[in-house]
Amino acid sequence: MVKIVVGGQMDKDRVADIIKKIGGEKVTVEIKSDIQAAMAIKTKQADYYFGACNTGGGGALAMAIALLGMPLCATVSMPGNIRSESEILKEIEAGKKAFGFTPQHAEQVIPIIMKKILN
Amino acid sequence: MKYIIIALMGALASILANKGVAVFNDGLRPIVPEYLEGRMSKKALAATSFALGFGLVIGFGIPVSVAANIILIHSILLGTDIIGTWSPDGKKGMIISGAVGALYGVGLVVGLKFVVDVFKMLPVNFLPQLGIVSIPIVAAFATFPALVVAYQYGVRNGFITLVLSFLVRRFTQYYGKFKIGSATVALNPEGMALLVGMVIMIIYAIREKPDPNAEAVDLVSLFSDRVKKIKKNVPYLAVMGGLISAGTSMLIIAGDPISLNLLSKGKDMEAALTALARGIGFIPLVATTAIATGVYGPAGMTFVFVVGILIKNPILAFIVGALVITLEVMLLDFIAKFLDKFPGMKNCGDNIRTAMSKILEVALLVGGMMAANAMAPGLGLFIVVGLYTLNKVSKKPIVDMAVGPVGAIFVGILINILYVVGLYLPAVIK
Repeated sequence: MVKIVVGGQMDKDRVADIIKKIGGEKVTVEIKSDIQAAMAIKTKQADYYFGACNTGGGGALAMAIALLGMPLCATVSMPGNIRSESEILKEIEAGKKAFGFTPQHAEQVIPIIMKKILN
Repeated sequence: MKYIIIALMGALASILANKGVAVFNDGLRPIVPEYLEGRMSKKALAATSFALGFGLVIGFGIPVSVAANIILIHSILLGTDIIGTWSPDGKKGMIISGAVGALYGVGLVVGLKFVVDVFKMLPVNFLPQLGIVSIPIVAAFATFPALVVAYQYGVRNGFITLVLSFLVRRFTQYYGKFKIGSATVALNPEGMALLVGMVIMIIYAIREKPDPNAEAVDLVSLFSDRVKKIKKNVPYLAVMGGLISAGTSMLIIAGDPISLNLLSKGKDMEAALTALARGIGFIPLVATTAIATGVYGPAGMTFVFVVGILIKNPILAFIVGALVITLEVMLLDFIAKFLDKFPGMKNCGDNIRTAMSKILEVALLVGGMMAANAMAPGLGLFIVVGLYTLNKVSKKPIVDMAVGPVGAIFVGILINILYVVGLYLPAVIK
């Protein structure tokens, strides 16, 4: 069972829905405030953090970066730029736990991340 | 005067970004301390700021600005973020970033004017039609509190809010005129609808109690050094805020696409209310990221725009704007405690930003289609819809919100090209 928290900051319900649809029985998804969600990762109550905001890094990851540190966080999409599948996979392999993206790109990036972390 | 203000704004914002005191891009803010504390190289910081900012300047800031002929603040301050982080450290960096920032600011004003002038000289002038882009926003901006309530407390409550806003809008339209002495005071229907929606939204939000089981995180004590750093920088931030207020009061800049479009139509009251609502939406984001990073935003919680819209004297706007930013910074600890006590307000802030983007996305898309259709009936719709759907599946899409204005500008240029090659006859412009 993979435990996922949705933290920062926009369109949380939609992000959670997309994750649930892909993960089905294999995941639990919880929507929290960005601070609580980042703390959940820090205290090992959850495995991965997802967050969306208009820059892919501000509202989405600010608290995660502040509480967990940059080495655990990755912006996988930003306005006008979605990172390639291989780049995203590399981030996950490098041990990143928190992912930020823009709500507009949620449908494209979440499946890539989910496929990898469910394996 | 206009050029002086914008040059000072560009210069100071670049220097603040260079020194790591304030950056505008919320996505860049958490990364700045990583660099200042030596965990990230200058090169990586500069690359990140460019990646985060450039797409928004080109794909969002500029098109929205051209359509209304007021500069969207994102165009300036995302640029100065990039200038500040690209410039070297130390005294040299301060001079370079200041000079380049000033040039950039003036360049934007001159550039925007140039683009508009060039459009005017084209064989088929499409500027009057381009103004149509803002019609849906101006009419529909007051719906966003209903959407916020719906996100937070379900569609049913959202619908109730929408109905109440609608009723107030109708009543104001018919009975909103008062005679006070000899002067007639006309309440604005959209403004009143927005006000009612906002009041309902805040009542809902404030009633939400904190979850007693949730783990409390005391941000302020966790990051007390970073809070101190921001407070130390308050004089510079105050000047920055003052400049932004002054610039807004002179109608050079606006803080967001909604109030920008309202301002371009002379609807100041509505613009001020929208900017106020947006400010409320930004309190949680700016306060929490500022506390956690020690880096502030040059526009703070964006209340400086409200000041600028309401106070028409630039000098007075400067003073009040500076005071407002100072107050924001001094109250950071208090705001953090308040947000802990009323988690509904924090969620409300997040939802305001989501709701405003959603409404802008639809309103600017429809506006873009209407404008394009006015320029080239049929063909305009064909092109904007095509662009929007293709952009959706593109690997490097431009921001959804910007497709409408970009599409309309594109159609305008296209009909000129078609005209030259004899494939388009302009409709008679009334």
